[in-house]
Amino acid sequence: MLKHRRKQEKKHRTGEIPVGSFSDIAFLLIIYFLVATTLIKVKSITADLPTGEKQTQAQIDKTPVVNLRGADIYFSDKKVTIENLNERLAALNLAEQPANKRVIMFESTSNASYQAYFHVLAAISSNGGVVALVEEEK
Amino acid sequence: MGDIAFLLIIFFLLLSDSSKDKKLPLTLPSSTQVKKNETPVAARVAIDSAGVIYLDGHRVDTAKDIEWGVRALLTRTVADEQRHVQFKCDAALPKETFEPVLKAIAEAGGIIEAIGEKLQ
Repeated sequence: MLKHRRKQEKKHRTGEIPVGSFSDIAFLLIIYFLVATTLIKVKSITADLPTGEKQTQAQIDKTPVVNLRGADIYFSDKKVTIENLNERLAALNLAEQPANKRVIMFESTSNASYQAYFHVLAAISSNGGVVALVEEEK
Repeated sequence: MGDIAFLLIIFFLLLSDSSKDKKLPLTLPSSTQVKKNETPVAARVAIDSAGVIYLDGHRVDTAKDIEWGVRALLTRTVADEQRHVQFKCDAALPKETFEPVLKAIAEAGGIIEAIGEKLQ
């Protein structure tokens, strides 16, 4: 018994760091990160807002316009629901059109929330439209 | 065995860092038309519920800072797939807060990936 204890004390005096439990700690950490990490694939809509020169009035007249007044949506000056807007945009078959015919003018009032704005952006983008933001004249 | 374990730890440490702006106080808008985003993004822009603007997790003062920052990040890009910019914004914010930022991203040449939640 005494001999065995002396042998153990001698072993500890060699100055080696016991690394046997390192891999156990490492695997515990891996399990922690596996549980804690969420591999998120965020959901989004893609909107390519083109930048360029101002359009002439004649060009604006030909382009479909979506107005957002507060939470109300208007398509070519007629009040529509988001479902109606989707139907009307789908009927335009924008994805099949050349790039210059895919433009949808989007005008909004200052009290429009991002939620309502997002709905309209999503409707235009998912139907293959290119959003052109209408700015107020200063 | 231990080496592999530590390499895996480093991998997970780096991976968990990529979603650091997840903790921002904001409520995402919802729509039935959002899709899972597969494209990698060149920059992350966020506006929290107080209207504070962030670029890649760092607070910026104005939309103009976003334009310069995104423009700088997109200078080395060659394809459209590399121009995607993630945009997160609180659903309740008014137009004058978020629209200048959207325009700034567009002006800088970014394609906006507006993040939202799937409406059931």
